Amino acid sequence: MRKLVTVFLCVFFALCQLAAQNKTITGKVTDAEGKPVAGASVQVKGTKQGVSANDAGIFTISVPTTATTLSISGVGLVAQDVRIGTSTVLNVSMVSSDKNLDEVVVVAYGTAKKSTNTGSQGVVGAKDIAQRPISNVNQALEGAIPGVITGTANGQPGSGVSIRVRGFGSINASSDPLFVVDGVPYVGGTSNINPDDVESTTVLKDASATALYGSRAANGVIMITTKKGKKGRNNISMRMLQGQTSRGLEEYQRVDAFQYYPMMWEAYRNSLVYPTTGVGISLDSANRVASGLTTRTGIHGLLTYNPFNVPNNAIVGTNGRLNPNAQLIYGDDLDWTKELISTGNRQEYNINFSGGSDKSDYFLSLSHLDDKGYTLRSDLKRSTLRLNVNINPLSWVKTGLNVTGNFATSNQASDGGSTSFVNPFFFTRNMGPIYPVYAHNMTTGAYLLDATGNRFWDLGNMGAQGLGISNRPSGASSGRHALAETRLNNENYRRTVVSARNFVDITFLKDFKFTNNISVDYQTQYDASYQNTLVGDGAPAGRSSRDYSSNMGFITSQLLNYNKKLGDHRIDVLVGREAFNQYQEALGGFKQGQSLSGNTELGNFTTINSSTSSVDRYRIESYFSRANYDYKGKYFVSGSIRRDGNSRFAAESRWGTFWSVGGGWNIEKENFMKNVSFVNQLKLRSSYGVVGVADGIGLYAYQGLYGFANNANDPGIVQSQTAFLNKSLTWETNKQFDIGLDFALFKNRLTGSVEYYHRVSADLLFAVPQPLSSGALTVNQNTATMFNKGIELQLNGDVLKTKDFVWNMNLNLSTVVNQITKMPESVPDFVTGTKKYQVGVSIFDYWLRTYYGVDPTDGAPLFVAQSTAANASRRLITNKNGGLDTLTTDISNGKFEYQGSTIPDFYGSFTQSVTYKQFTLSALFMFQVGGLTYDQNYASLMAVGTSYGAAYHTDILNRWQKPGDITNVPRLDAGRSAQFNGASSRWLIDASYFNIRTVNLSYNLPKSLTNRMKVNNGQFFISIENALFSSKRIGLNNQQAFSGVTSNAYPPARVFTVGVSLNL
Amino acid sequence: MKKNIFILLVFSALIFSSCKKEFLDTYSTTAVAADDALSSTQNATAALNGMHRIMYTQYDAQGQSGEGACNLFRDYMGEDIVFPLANGSQGHLGWVQWQNHRNVNSGDMRFVYRFYYRLISNANVLINGIDAVPGAAASKNMIKGQALVYRAWAHFQLVQLWGERYRAGANNSQLGVPLLLTNTLEGQPRATVEAVYTQINKDLDQAIVLLAGYTRTGSAAKSNLDINVARGVKARVALVQENWDVAATNAAAARASFPLMTNADYVRGFNDISNAEWIWGSRQISDHNTFFFSYFAYISSNFNSTVIRTQPRAVNANLFNALPTTDIRRSVFDLTGAGTVIPPGGARVPFQNKKFLASSDALSIGDVPYMRSAEMLLIEAEARARQGQTLAAQTALFTLMRNRMPNYVQSTSTGQTLLNEIYFNRRAELWGEGHRFTDLKRLNLPMSRVGIANHVIALIQVQEIPAGDVRWQFLFPQDEMNQNKAMVQNPL
Repeated sequence: MRKLVTVFLCVFFALCQLAAQNKTITGKVTDAEGKPVAGASVQVKGTKQGVSANDAGIFTISVPTTATTLSISGVGLVAQDVRIGTSTVLNVSMVSSDKNLDEVVVVAYGTAKKSTNTGSQGVVGAKDIAQRPISNVNQALEGAIPGVITGTANGQPGSGVSIRVRGFGSINASSDPLFVVDGVPYVGGTSNINPDDVESTTVLKDASATALYGSRAANGVIMITTKKGKKGRNNISMRMLQGQTSRGLEEYQRVDAFQYYPMMWEAYRNSLVYPTTGVGISLDSANRVASGLTTRTGIHGLLTYNPFNVPNNAIVGTNGRLNPNAQLIYGDDLDWTKELISTGNRQEYNINFSGGSDKSDYFLSLSHLDDKGYTLRSDLKRSTLRLNVNINPLSWVKTGLNVTGNFATSNQASDGGSTSFVNPFFFTRNMGPIYPVYAHNMTTGAYLLDATGNRFWDLGNMGAQGLGISNRPSGASSGRHALAETRLNNENYRRTVVSARNFVDITFLKDFKFTNNISVDYQTQYDASYQNTLVGDGAPAGRSSRDYSSNMGFITSQLLNYNKKLGDHRIDVLVGREAFNQYQEALGGFKQGQSLSGNTELGNFTTINSSTSSVDRYRIESYFSRANYDYKGKYFVSGSIRRDGNSRFAAESRWGTFWSVGGGWNIEKENFMKNVSFVNQLKLRSSYGVVGVADGIGLYAYQGLYGFANNANDPGIVQSQTAFLNKSLTWETNKQFDIGLDFALFKNRLTGSVEYYHRVSADLLFAVPQPLSSGALTVNQNTATMFNKGIELQLNGDVLKTKDFVWNMNLNLSTVVNQITKMPESVPDFVTGTKKYQVGVSIFDYWLRTYYGVDPTDGAPLFVAQSTAANASRRLITNKNGGLDTLTTDISNGKFEYQGSTIPDFYGSFTQSVTYKQFTLSALFMFQVGGLTYDQNYASLMAVGTSYGAAYHTDILNRWQKPGDITNVPRLDAGRSAQFNGASSRWLIDASYFNIRTVNLSYNLPKSLTNRMKVNNGQFFISIENALFSSKRIGLNNQQAFSGVTSNAYPPARVFTVGVSLNL
Repeated sequence: MKKNIFILLVFSALIFSSCKKEFLDTYSTTAVAADDALSSTQNATAALNGMHRIMYTQYDAQGQSGEGACNLFRDYMGEDIVFPLANGSQGHLGWVQWQNHRNVNSGDMRFVYRFYYRLISNANVLINGIDAVPGAAASKNMIKGQALVYRAWAHFQLVQLWGERYRAGANNSQLGVPLLLTNTLEGQPRATVEAVYTQINKDLDQAIVLLAGYTRTGSAAKSNLDINVARGVKARVALVQENWDVAATNAAAARASFPLMTNADYVRGFNDISNAEWIWGSRQISDHNTFFFSYFAYISSNFNSTVIRTQPRAVNANLFNALPTTDIRRSVFDLTGAGTVIPPGGARVPFQNKKFLASSDALSIGDVPYMRSAEMLLIEAEARARQGQTLAAQTALFTLMRNRMPNYVQSTSTGQTLLNEIYFNRRAELWGEGHRFTDLKRLNLPMSRVGIANHVIALIQVQEIPAGDVRWQFLFPQDEMNQNKAMVQNPL
């Protein structure tokens, strides 16, 4: 067939040649490295006559003798005009547009030439994620763009990272950026999107870039653009990844069984010597009591389990040391993570077909992801398909449909509540190291077996069952069992997403283009949850819930573009209108009392706990306009304005106007720069604008409401304590100033930018607390003000570049300063958790009691005293300067002070990429310097009190033991643990970190091989995500939350992957 | 030409496709607009029912279940509820330790304050708005009457906790609590204790008139506040104010149609509103599941929660030992714990409570008792005894005791001995129902746990509080101090 076509074409061309006085030119199109450019378009300038180069880059074109110039272009290359000389051979070397400074960038409602764009934005391209095993596209933003702070992804498969663009914009409303997918605000999560379909992710940072999104853009806009077919090149692309997931972050270091018993003994002994009320007993007596040598309860009686082969009253001697003969009798069964946390598999398959002709292009992709987390019952299976077709049915009409479908199922680990027993990370982290997973004979240590000869779980409350097993004490989660609960419970969802984007472009009167966009995002999710009858929250009845929800976004917009070039002047005007309509439905049922085992559907349960339904609508109507003007590509200005009406606000307050102005100057185009040959680009740009925030506020936040509250079967309603009519409630506004310098030097070998921004967030929505006696809790008001400012630096350069060897380096550095400048009049300061808001500090400044150290005389902790009046807890200590510090051992008399901030001095990332011949090794490093983390997880591992049985951190080994000991860890004292180890500056730790986010080694198949395999190109690669976490404390993740407070969340996953990609 | 027509069409479509004005008006489907509460007597009745509901819903945290939780908090501060296990759950322990009500940042204490004012705010909407609602006078009287009882009762509960005790016959000019008679976000100052009691009585007297013709109906009838509840509250108020005759007559009237329960009913778990002697209580049905937060999740013997499993409630050993073996009330406690219905893996302790039973080990619901005939008889006995009407007092006590203990012989005691007998039976009868702290406070007695063997001293920390100590006054929550500029804190 192919031959036939070739013959036909040859004859056809031959005949054509006869018809005109033509000559034939042949040649080869190569890229900068000398490789052939397949499919390059070769056209006679000024005509429609043209051909494409073949796979070897060879073209043959017949041109009229009158023709003088050929235009040559190719995907990813800078178009070139070549003069036709007398020769009939014309070889052309093309320059890659990777370094082409006039590339096109994605902007609000369209694209723009980068060189004359006034906005500040950063881009992550498809090639940046092609070799990374990421399941959520927003993970690609980690460390990629200065000014963007990301949290670490939770290890739950498919979970994304939280993102802050240029500081922290809001207090009670949302600080999340707006996600826009293929030009339309997206309704749904980014985990719905197949990362392999993504062409680019662009972060719009300044007001000039975002103002066209008006009321929702104050926290930045993230524009995800999916791939489309390229003209002139049909392509089949395949990508396959196989990987293994494991825990990326180590566990905190904790004491073992041998260390644990003496520590708990000491905590108990000390509580007898220093009782909270009354007079203590002597040290000797207390030693004997604690060891269990008296009639009083010994330490074994409190811990209730003896994992050693020595008698219960001989585990710890009166000297506080473990019996030297003690050996573990069930030592193989003390690791609670063994069955819960191991490794998982991750598999990903992608194939796409793409191509295009003059009149149409298409992109069709299929993908399947099977990502098993490293904990039991935690996974994501996702299949997606996408079809993006664009056609040009008439010369003045262009239209396209980009539609995607997605089906996902997922089991979710129960890490929602940081201290809920069912959370496997909380449970295993804090379980004392002497409690076994399975039931054992407490004398021999042998596993107990049930009637069927199998081991069974020790649920920690089997004391009454005559098995010789005690109940675990409350500190060891008595009656709970994370492994059993994870195995027997069920938390999963099924999600189906359909998303479509359509546009129709009509060009008319030469310079006008009208575009109509219609888009639908529709997502349904079915959540199933079951808690078993044996152990945990559902026991003994068993309970089950089913929740069905749908979320639909229907968005239409009409855009009119006018684009005119008059000599040196270029004008580009856009006017548009958009209607955003979101519709959410929910239906849920929750029952308990399981009838038959095995079936978890609601019909199998007897008692209705709740049945609910709701419908919610969110709507925005917008009108907007933008005008760009540039003169000779040298000076350019732009302005935009948008008017939004938002259903979250009362009719009186729902319309707002947002705007921006920006300007720029391409200095390198000036005459005086002509001789400065090492400068290829020098662009100064600046902008100012006002944008808004409405998201994160309740959908009906301005309305006064009564909620449903039936009394038995009588219908009832009750006043909301937070929803009071406030017709003046309106947007938060962000006023942002931005100035930046973009540069390219030394033949574009060194590129970069440096920027400064100052962003004032005014009318911040604040849930202003009210007197409780008014019956209200909080009322939403626009009152507070704060600013974020910072400097951003990006540098990218080829450090070394030879024919075979390229070493590229990219550096991002950012700073952010956040400060509150106005608080509500009635609430000049406001304490929330570990922070206190007030004028002059940031929203992330810690407000805690000041920990001073340990009193060497009795090991009591010392806090700086708030009331320095003499009392029993007051201590005076001589400080370094010879003065006296007034301290207290009573934490409730400790003084609250500002203790520094979560926000780092600076943060950033660098990427190293080394290419040698076919090999490329690259790595992304992320770091932060300064800032403080409040390590809540560590605090609870250091504070085991009257609830005996919880785990201790190894730092407990440094505790105060006898008068004169100098240490920072107070006396172990079960009776005073809460008081000794309460919230204070003691739990703050330097948040500096250095992480290796991803390492990647790839091998490009050489041409000799690809030719033989009949593929265009191919790659093998190995990659490791989350290769290294390095912080001031093992187990500590400083990026877990922007607030800086750690919790027992699912630690990030390390993913080791091998992959192959082929292009046919 | 074709192209121009097309463009014209598109543009005209555009112009007319502009959104309608209502496009941006959206409303919640899980709530109704505040104005609707007063659009009809039917809706106002729903707003009243909502108040009955919030008597037993959850507030900010686990264990904050409306009035049931407040009842527990008040009894924990006495000597008769015992947390028996040193290494058991510490839920609610801060009350036993007399810490929570003296800690301005305590969430539990904030909840108590918030809860009563929430009821007052909801009541005010109805009291001040119902007259303008179209509808039958009978319905409006019923709604307004109940709302007035709520407002009076909530102010009464608040002033007993935050104010200094009411001193009968003295000038009660000490600061009480803010009186909220109309809803405002402006912080209100504390009214004097006298002024608060004056308003409470005014509201109750008005309610008694309005509720005269009202009969409660439906399965949740007893969660409504009828004239008997109004009289019962009036009796409690009069007891504090030492208006002995008012107390006795209102108590007698309140219980008139509620005969004492049988001994068989006495051991059924105190969770059923249909019990003959209940005058007022919350009615809970299964789809109002209260999970781990409810009254019964903390005071029942059988619900499967960490609290009940590891820290079952026990009775003061001395109180138990003083109860004659023939007294039915002794049988709701268990000397060894062996005969108590416990959840799987639960602990058994001496003097274990089995007075209260949740619906099952899996379902923490149950009807919550707020007012029973027995209490009215005890009020009557105490009031008559204090009046010097010894025989009337002995008779009232006998009426109760003959039911609880068949071989009970009418007391012949007089004076303080008789009163002591009445007070002892108040403790035995009302264990866990929220009267101990306010009884001690109104009688100006110390709280003493000294010599009670089953209290774990290391756990409870506090053994004795002298009468008149500042700690008998709750502190105002920090949130109230911060937002209410007119507020004055109690002495620290």
